[in-house]
Amino acid sequence: MESGEASDEKTSSVSAAQRRAEIRRRKLLMNSEDRMNRIVGFAKNEAENNGASRRPTEPRFHLDLDRTEPWSSSSSSPRPSPFLPEASGFGSRSHSATPERRGSPLPDCGEPHGGSLEDDLGGIRQRPRGERASDDISGSPRRGLQKYLSRFDDAMKLRGQLANEKPAQDGGSDSEELDPFRIFRLIGSILLAIFVRVFVCKYLSIFAPFLTLELAYMGLSKYFPKVEKKTKTTVLTAALLLSGIPAEVINRSMDTYRRMGDVFADLCVYFFTFILSHEILLLFGSETP
Amino acid sequence: MATGYAWFLVLGSVFLCNLMKTLLPSMSSFLSKMVQKDAEQESEMRTEIQEMKKEQSSISMMDEFARYARLERKINKTTDKLKTHVKSRTAQQAKMKWVVNIVFYILQAALMISLIWKYYSDPVTVVPSRWIAPVERLVAFPTGVAGGVGITCWLVVCNKVVTLGLNAVS
Repeated sequence: MESGEASDEKTSSVSAAQRRAEIRRRKLLMNSEDRMNRIVGFAKNEAENNGASRRPTEPRFHLDLDRTEPWSSSSSSPRPSPFLPEASGFGSRSHSATPERRGSPLPDCGEPHGGSLEDDLGGIRQRPRGERASDDISGSPRRGLQKYLSRFDDAMKLRGQLANEKPAQDGGSDSEELDPFRIFRLIGSILLAIFVRVFVCKYLSIFAPFLTLELAYMGLSKYFPKVEKKTKTTVLTAALLLSGIPAEVINRSMDTYRRMGDVFADLCVYFFTFILSHEILLLFGSETP
Repeated sequence: MATGYAWFLVLGSVFLCNLMKTLLPSMSSFLSKMVQKDAEQESEMRTEIQEMKKEQSSISMMDEFARYARLERKINKTTDKLKTHVKSRTAQQAKMKWVVNIVFYILQAALMISLIWKYYSDPVTVVPSRWIAPVERLVAFPTGVAGGVGITCWLVVCNKVVTLGLNAVS
């Protein structure tokens, strides 16, 4: 009996020890971020005086990353906050940071927990303006440094891409790739120009059939295999990327520009063939008695 | 008004210019080879280095260290000389390429300007103006002749067509 009681006491003491160890571990983990903030210079007293808990310091960096999101969309590398042990990039938003902090039930942490988890998130996302201004002032050098470093990374990457693409461009010069649809378009323009010169031009403008042809091409384009055109990193695209324009906007603009180029090429081939056939017909017309 | 074969003259000039442009790299390498006097020296140095390396591989470093080291020094010296030679040759090639390109672009610009000067007021060809409505003014620029095809429009069209054609062929 006594041994049973002793073993019960032992197990209870072990579990209590385990619980205490767990509490200590959590306390250490939760306080690590606070220690880093103090090292950096964000005083705990300022946060408490402003009525903010220590927890919003961590989402500040997330919010800063969110602000810089339009700049760093697809081409930029994510630069995680150096002060977050769990931060892994732009994908990590406030919900991914230090899970231990979230709704911590620990009574020993000594922090003023603001209600439930959702209230905390609401408080994180909708800080009062005065607090945000003071945070901005203190966080702006770090934000500026992070922004500078991320832009520097992207500039280095783009420089590498440009250097890789330069030999290929030097060798290939400005050769345009002729995929099947493009060849089809050009042949169609040639044939239409000859047809229009022989039969149609007396009745209406030569550009009307051309516009009809282009509309037909727009509809026929989906029946042709799509050729994935590798977007070349040129000095212009690199400059646009570094100036803050999102990569998607640049890609769409380049795509539109390419389509306009295709239509212009069709028009040139059409007009050239029309004039050439006109001159040939005049030549044969003058030669025949 | 319009000269009979003006359109063909412009087309021929544009074709010639684009053809020369594609042949520029081979022309510049050919000219740099002609200008380069000591091309044989480089191949001699390469042969010498190969022979010395072959000889060095036949020598045992333990048994004939002095000879091995002497050969090694000779190889290094010749290699350095070869590197300097290659560097100067590459720089000369780059300079030649640059000169050839500059000359070509000057000649091309002169040709284009002379064509535009000649056909500034004369269209290269004339068609009924209703055929090219509603852009007859744009097409006729700068001649102002109704139904005429101006030199600028024809130059742009020919340039595009010739580029496409040469790309397809090459």
